Amino acid sequence: MFQNVYYSFFDWNGLATPLFTGLKNYVAMFTDRVIARSMINTALWVAFTLVLPATGGLLVAVFVTGVRGAGFFKSVFFIPLTISFVATGVIWAYMFSKELGVLNGLLGMLRIPLKPSWLTAVPLNTFAMIFAWTWQQLGTNMVMFLMGLGTIPRDPIEACLLDGASSWQTFRHVKLPMLRPITTVVITMAMVNSFKVFDIIYVMTRGGPYSSSETLAVSMFRETFTLFHMGYGAAISVVLSLIVIVISAAYIRRMTKRDLLYY
Amino acid sequence: MSRWLKKVPLYAVLIVLVALWLLPVASSFLVSFKSSQDFVSQTWADLPTKFFFFQNLSTVLKNYRLQNNLVSSLLYASVGTVVVVLCASMAGFSIVRLRPKFNFFLFLVIYSGTLFPFQMYLIPVYRLFNTLGLYDTRVGMILIYSAICIPFSLFVYRGFYTTIPREIEEAAKLDGCGPVRSFWSVFLPQSLPPTAVVALFQATWIWNDLLFGMVLSRQEQIRPIMVAVATMTGYGGGNIPWIMTAVIFTSLPTILLFVALRKFFIQGMVLNVSS
Repeated sequence: MFQNVYYSFFDWNGLATPLFTGLKNYVAMFTDRVIARSMINTALWVAFTLVLPATGGLLVAVFVTGVRGAGFFKSVFFIPLTISFVATGVIWAYMFSKELGVLNGLLGMLRIPLKPSWLTAVPLNTFAMIFAWTWQQLGTNMVMFLMGLGTIPRDPIEACLLDGASSWQTFRHVKLPMLRPITTVVITMAMVNSFKVFDIIYVMTRGGPYSSSETLAVSMFRETFTLFHMGYGAAISVVLSLIVIVISAAYIRRMTKRDLLYY
Repeated sequence: MSRWLKKVPLYAVLIVLVALWLLPVASSFLVSFKSSQDFVSQTWADLPTKFFFFQNLSTVLKNYRLQNNLVSSLLYASVGTVVVVLCASMAGFSIVRLRPKFNFFLFLVIYSGTLFPFQMYLIPVYRLFNTLGLYDTRVGMILIYSAICIPFSLFVYRGFYTTIPREIEEAAKLDGCGPVRSFWSVFLPQSLPPTAVVALFQATWIWNDLLFGMVLSRQEQIRPIMVAVATMTGYGGGNIPWIMTAVIFTSLPTILLFVALRKFFIQGMVLNVSS
């Protein structure tokens, strides 16, 4: 890891002797149009994974409890968890494919005269992949929230309902605050994981067309292992890691504090 | 009646979501049953004229020689998991029970391995593997997979061993067991639940990995299965019925494992997210 930081100050192709260039890699990064796009995409990923898999997981968990056939609904959302990101990517690349894909086929059947090129149009491809990611991840978050909902005692909820609160009010003022520990975990992990997304993007678009759907994790891979700009790749990964560490720092502090108390 | 009516929108939302979740699964299976001709000439919802799954499978195995990658991945997943279980259980035991100085700090150091993004140590590992001659070897792949899985597994074992009452250890000590003996004959036999969680979860993770397989191996015989599947795709998408067949075929082991051992799998997932 320290070695990685060290490499990030060099211009190095993996074979020749590394050439010390100081902060040049970092400066280059902030003037690189591709990296700028990649940063925007990363921000989109982070923002929308908070909305879709995290909030979606909460909503589904709430919906599913107290509905007939809950077991069936739960297992449906579990299905994607068993398969790899690669498989998810392949499946959704087919769903979104322009000419023969399922979604455009559906649009055609409904006589909607739209034929979006989901995976090549520029911000659309990122959103398409975020959706595929949501399809994969929702189940995990649902399980977490279900577990959290299961630990909430019945009494305060019944008391609320007796006092005439609507089910929305009970949810908003009783269940949601009680879910806070779980929510913190889910949100932190959702954010951290969205920084690391690699497989789905690699399989669905290879980061393309023209690097337009890359995130920092994919840019780092391309710079390092296809173009062999090792120093530059290292610099990208340092920035990426710094962001992740800052985000998870607050969370880790909480975790270690809890752990020390536990001892 | 009115209560039931109130739930109608709820069911409507759930059913739409279920449809959205099942559509990809159903259409992927459908595609893998089609021949390439059927795939191009039909729309996505048409049933295939002939059940072509096994022909697709044999073509895929012949053209892409996936069996090599399957064997490699099987090896990585099984040997890697055994290594992880051994190392992590011993480490967990010693951190919790032998209480070396700075045990919590030690745990944090090992545990920090899960916090940093993989990208952070990808380049140094790549360098190291090149200088040690581990690049593109099966031993190297097993080593890196085990190394990556150990932090989380250690977390699981550590949590489990803190729940074993201290009296048991004292009793073992009175009967003349040293730490090694008490680990082997007292603690390890009791560790079935965490071992099941760890083994299942890590074997699945190794099987499904793409990034490390792609970076640290090059030869067809060494590359794990998901890399092989990922390279079948490209901008144009390749031959979709073939790829889909390969995807379904290579996902079968993890799906079966999940169905058989669902309880442990979910437990592992919860631990992984909350760790």
